[in-house]
Amino acid sequence: MKKLQKQTLIGIRDQLASYDWKDEELIELVDPKLGIITGFQELLDQLDILRRIDLGTIPPASNIAPLTDE
Amino acid sequence: MNDEIAFASITSLAKKLSEGDLSPARLVEMFVERIHRLNDTSKAFISFDLDTALERAGRIDNQPRKALFSIPYACKDLFDVRGQKTTAGSGVLHDNIAAADAVTIERMNGAGGIFLGKNNLHEFAYGATGENSLYGTPPNPYDSSRLAGGSSSGSVAAVGYGLCAAALGTDTGGSVRAPAALCGLVGFKPTYGRISTEGVIPYSWTLDHVGTITRSAEDASILFEILADSFQPTGADTVQRLDGLRVGIPETFFYQKADAEILDCIDRLMTFLKDSGARLTRVPMPSMEFTRTVSLTVQMPEALSYHNRYLELRGDLYSQEFRAGLALGQCLLAEQYVRAKRFIETYRRDTDTVFKDVDLLLTPATPAIAPKIGSVEVTTDGYTEPAGNAITRYTSFFNMTGHPAITFPCGMHSEGLPIAAQLIGRHYEDESLISIAADIESAYAFSLPNPKLD
Repeated sequence: MKKLQKQTLIGIRDQLASYDWKDEELIELVDPKLGIITGFQELLDQLDILRRIDLGTIPPASNIAPLTDE
Repeated sequence: MNDEIAFASITSLAKKLSEGDLSPARLVEMFVERIHRLNDTSKAFISFDLDTALERAGRIDNQPRKALFSIPYACKDLFDVRGQKTTAGSGVLHDNIAAADAVTIERMNGAGGIFLGKNNLHEFAYGATGENSLYGTPPNPYDSSRLAGGSSSGSVAAVGYGLCAAALGTDTGGSVRAPAALCGLVGFKPTYGRISTEGVIPYSWTLDHVGTITRSAEDASILFEILADSFQPTGADTVQRLDGLRVGIPETFFYQKADAEILDCIDRLMTFLKDSGARLTRVPMPSMEFTRTVSLTVQMPEALSYHNRYLELRGDLYSQEFRAGLALGQCLLAEQYVRAKRFIETYRRDTDTVFKDVDLLLTPATPAIAPKIGSVEVTTDGYTEPAGNAITRYTSFFNMTGHPAITFPCGMHSEGLPIAAQLIGRHYEDESLISIAADIESAYAFSLPNPKLD
């Protein structure tokens, strides 16, 4: 997976029905200067590892069922 | 107001009220006076409704006693209270007047609780340090140079400074349990879904829990009985005692990279449990390597989905910090969100498997004591991480699994700050969990001193 570029995020904003984030807010995600959000690239790298794990038929989490007598 | 009342538990206040040693009006007057005197220091309340509280207390003097008698309580400013502003600690909702009470507020008032006001918080519950540039940062009652912790920062400060007997908060990654632990209080979050979140501003639907902040586990039990949905599944009333209790000690993650004094303190608690007849077993836990990534990948898109309603017209009123988090939520893919929720399901199943061999799990509540106000990072046992991550490192996993969990004080650090333990129970065994914490509380030779407030 290639490193995330600011142009990619600007493209998401402009072309994928997104809220109109300011350029500097998107740039902060790929090139943190203010220290507000750090580690977005690391998060994406971890998500790429998680993507390769086969979860079989496990569904998304939903409500927790109460205990039964069984 | 003497400390005996300000720092008394619900149980002992109820006793005084029922025996006529204290009137509801006098009790509320005492807390009102204290709020006027200490709110600037504690930054615990964003708003209060003290005239209504006094008026209500005056009226119930001769009415039949209900479960909560006339105990004064407060709530995080995410809970709707009819006719009052719900600000969520943000300028975005500066004019947001609630049309109805949240279900939990309705239940507290219905049980005789006297509502005092709305507590400060990390804006929209986004963050564990409790810092708020608009309403101030609540300090720790044991050391004003340190954080109370968050996101339910004002709620723990309100109880910690003796401004109310109990408070309601929300817990998405530990935001009730962790700050309660840092301030020497009892923080409880139930099994996911057992206390209604209706009328509470959401942060992340998958992870949000309403929780309680009290001075004792016994008080947590009183509030849970009032707040829990009426459904009582099988096994919920099976109260266990310490003798023969099977306590799981996680082999990994929860006892690592932690303050040595905290580990020693939990070790002493383990010895006490063993001496009381409990059987302690080391248990393997699911891998924690990606849990923060999984949690964030669910949190931020859900938060963005809720906040879309305000972003167009009021986007500039959000803090820069929260906007950045929401922007991150925009840049995650739908499949990543669904996959993260599937990982959460695996965490739930794997943790349920652990509970086949033990009745509950014991961990430290936090790996470190309350950080200094303004700390960006915390270093514990050579491991450096953002302050907010440190505060919730041992709590956030159980928001994903939805297991009930309670934190309670069990020692004092040499720095003069409380140390707390965390117990985690099986789904829907909330009552047993709280009961065991109360048993430990009454039998364990530790009594937390009241904070010395100037």
